[in-house]
Amino acid sequence: MVETQKVDSTEPETGNASTGDTKPALFSFLLERFPIEKMNFHYMVEKKEVPVHRMSWGYYTGGLTFFFFMIQVVTGLFLLFYYQPTVSDAFLSVEYINNHVSAGPLIRNMHAWSSSAMIFFATVHLIVAFAMKSFEKPREITWIVGVLLLFITFTFGFTGYLLPWNQIAVNATKVGLQSIDNLGQYLGPFSHIPVQLRETFQGEASVGQSTLGRFYAMHVVILPLALVALLGLHLFQVQLHGMSKGVDEKTKKTEKFFTAFFFKDLEVWAYAFLALFVLASCIPFESFLPFPLLEPYNALGATPPGIKPEWYFFFVYYPLEMFNFLFIIIASTIVVAILFLTPWIFKGTSRRNLRFIALAVSAYLIVMTIFGEQIYHWWKH
Amino acid sequence: MIDILLYIVLPYLAVLICIIGSIYRIRKEPMTYSALSSQFLEARGLMWGSLPWHIGISLILIGHILPFLFPGQWNALLSNHAMLLAVEGLGYGLSALCLLGLVVLGARRLISSRIQSVTTTMDLVILLLLLFQVVLGMLTAMRAQYGSMWCTGTTVPYLWSLVTLNPDLSYINDLPHAMKAHIVGAWILVLLIPFSRLIHMFSVPISYLTRPPQNVIWANPRHQKEKAEVFARDEARRHFIKASCGVFGGLVLLSVGALDKIGQFFFGPRLSFSEETELMESKLKRLELTAEQRKLEVERRENEFILVAALKDLDREEGKYFIDYQMQPAIAFKNEAGLPQLISAKCTHLGCTVGNKADKEGRILCPCHVSYFDIKTGTPNQGAPAEAPLPILGWVVLNSKGEVLASRSKTGEINGTIATQDAETAQVFIRRADVTG
Amino acid sequence: MIDNRSQHQGGFRIFYACLLVMGANYFTVTAVHSYPQFQEFTEKHSGQAANCAMCHSNGNGPTGTGPGQIDGLNEEELKRLEEARKAFQPGQKIDSPILNEFGNKIVEELGRKEVLALVKEPEALATKLNKNLDTDRDGIPDAEEYLDGTDPTNKFHGHPWKMFLVNLNRYKQHILLTFAAVLLLNYGLGHLIKGIAVLTEKR
Repeated sequence: MVETQKVDSTEPETGNASTGDTKPALFSFLLERFPIEKMNFHYMVEKKEVPVHRMSWGYYTGGLTFFFFMIQVVTGLFLLFYYQPTVSDAFLSVEYINNHVSAGPLIRNMHAWSSSAMIFFATVHLIVAFAMKSFEKPREITWIVGVLLLFITFTFGFTGYLLPWNQIAVNATKVGLQSIDNLGQYLGPFSHIPVQLRETFQGEASVGQSTLGRFYAMHVVILPLALVALLGLHLFQVQLHGMSKGVDEKTKKTEKFFTAFFFKDLEVWAYAFLALFVLASCIPFESFLPFPLLEPYNALGATPPGIKPEWYFFFVYYPLEMFNFLFIIIASTIVVAILFLTPWIFKGTSRRNLRFIALAVSAYLIVMTIFGEQIYHWWKH
Repeated sequence: MIDILLYIVLPYLAVLICIIGSIYRIRKEPMTYSALSSQFLEARGLMWGSLPWHIGISLILIGHILPFLFPGQWNALLSNHAMLLAVEGLGYGLSALCLLGLVVLGARRLISSRIQSVTTTMDLVILLLLLFQVVLGMLTAMRAQYGSMWCTGTTVPYLWSLVTLNPDLSYINDLPHAMKAHIVGAWILVLLIPFSRLIHMFSVPISYLTRPPQNVIWANPRHQKEKAEVFARDEARRHFIKASCGVFGGLVLLSVGALDKIGQFFFGPRLSFSEETELMESKLKRLELTAEQRKLEVERRENEFILVAALKDLDREEGKYFIDYQMQPAIAFKNEAGLPQLISAKCTHLGCTVGNKADKEGRILCPCHVSYFDIKTGTPNQGAPAEAPLPILGWVVLNSKGEVLASRSKTGEINGTIATQDAETAQVFIRRADVTG
Repeated sequence: MIDNRSQHQGGFRIFYACLLVMGANYFTVTAVHSYPQFQEFTEKHSGQAANCAMCHSNGNGPTGTGPGQIDGLNEEELKRLEEARKAFQPGQKIDSPILNEFGNKIVEELGRKEVLALVKEPEALATKLNKNLDTDRDGIPDAEEYLDGTDPTNKFHGHPWKMFLVNLNRYKQHILLTFAAVLLLNYGLGHLIKGIAVLTEKR
């Protein structure tokens, strides 16, 4: 079993050596990532094996993300039955789901909890994949598509947040979109572009019916389609290249992906479902917000205090509040660039060091998410 | 009279004979205290008959005993409609399984010549009785629906009245005939236990379920190779049986737990008349609010002047919100001179609506990122996230005849004054000329 | 004696009349908020942002021209408001248009006199309220919701941990069912894995 594992990872390289000399670089690059001879059921399903070692739990994070995505699709479809994307009716239709539809609050709550869980596990999946060096050749495409998927997931969160059309939803969206404007001052001759970009997004001068319509279309059609397409490519690549080795030292044991690992995945999903079900039936997700923010949006009143994004944006929101805007823009551009170029930047880094970086990043994310508010207050005073 | 005989005497008699007879038989003829299996003679038919029958009847019997033992909990469980349907459905399915098994077993006894030689009349009587029982049970379930529900008010107290030696027939008097026959049949079957192969129910090898598997194989070296394979296959089969039980049971429970709610989700709520009215009222209110905003928009497109408020209603501490020509919120204050002070309320930082209550220093607060703006100049405080000042808006004050008393242009110069006698009636407007310039 | 008593009653009448006038003053002349002390207390006590919508129909309080605000009321609503303003003693059924369900219940429960007195010690409102009063039937008494700064009229809003305990008990049947289902499923899956493992090892 160990032998097949080894063959898996070395084969493409030998293939490269023989084809790379005669064919153009791009072609051989693609051929390496899409080896046609492996595109069959036997290779992609029957033969695939999952290494067993102390980081093996990392192999489940992707599956969990996928599971919560499926929950999102199902509960989202349910909600579509009753939700109405108009400024006058959106809030009422959400209230209608909560108060009159049987299991409505449960479904809606599951959608909210599951969205958080999906984003949480997508992030964990990214960090773990980084620590396990799962982006190593020939898996660059898997990584890049994965990063795109993460961005789509965050966009899902951002667009979905607006749909209930309550105070927090509209005001937070306003603030979020408005911050695009601030980019303009650094762009010199192109300073009008951010405003145009924002207004295109919004569909009008301020957040209103057009924005709701656009966000709705994005949230229920465009983003799901994009996500499913990219997810298909992501999973296809994962199956094609097999699981990455995950640790520096040699792994002694492996298990079959199908059926052993697949069923274990299902087991984990069952527990995840149980946890989600208990949380969704017991704690309304909106209980974490002060109630004035849950009132229907009032265009003519003051913005209520306490407007902030969903918890998964804290890691960028609080720094944005604390530091200079330009600094944050430059920093996040660098981070995004690093994310996309990871397979090439960290080509030679050992997994031990990758783990260290991953730990540092997770520490930052955890601290900023949990204590962000305190840090912010401490910083201000 | 006949009722007393059938439903009181017969039960006691049956149970008594069953106990004494069984003990006698087990003591005296221990070798016959078994199922008298005919598997060696015929195995195929037996599997298709015996398995469904035994699986079906044991679960059905559990279903009969549970409400008897725990009527309260049983009722509570079935008060969930989905649960009730699930139990009833399961009952039908299992009865059908029993019926299938019995038919196969009966056919086997009547057709196979090898089996016929070991079949006694008693066997045939028992088979026929069992067939009757199953059919009667199914009939009752179909005719008088939800037997699993009404049993706790009829047969269960009847049985308990027998157990407590205080027989009470009133519980079952009104039951349908099929059900009554079902009861009598049950007592006859109990009676016949010691005289038939039914006695094997006392020798069920329950310990087989938990003990480690044993494989009986030939000691011949020829079979050595097969041995491991047979072992593995049997072990795997055990796992698969447990697996299918688990997965199937889990899915059933999950659907029972979710079914009643999910089904109604699609069915949609059926609101009461008053609920519907209330809903419509709130919808109308929301529509009116939306319409109001549209009206404001149209008004701003068509009119040269827009009313902000009466001058006397303006306050120095608490501003009045209004909507400016760009449909953005703005606030109207009064200054020390008794003149209006109009300031945009759209924060220059990220566009939140600034609060309308001035603090002691005459500043208003944007709650989103804590910027204080001076009402007079619009400038934000030092170190605030907002860098640009809030725009100060121009205004005109008209008296009731529509004559301009005072005005403030976009550039900030103020023309005219307001006499005290006009202050009561004067009204503050914004004008389009200030915006378009 | 008799004289004395009538005088006494007269005194009370004058007192009430004064209060009424004060109340009337309140809604015609001043633009001051009604009793922000309660809101200020609940915000300070819970650390949560709250607004007037905890007790009033309008989140911006009873003064103003919006829906549920005094200057925006129609004739019939004004009549109801008048009616409600007379409820000085507890136990009177009122339906004030400027108050929400919870606000109306407070006045019913304590009477306007008591409420006015409580303005000076808003923390006492929680102890004065009936412990069984739960307007939104979310399982958390209104008095606790007042202290927690959560919405007493929204059954999907409450202190998260309290909501968890209440709902865990409320939905225990479904949760136990799901729990059993998941355990059973995973038991089955576990054996499926073992069974397949036995078979593949044999090969």
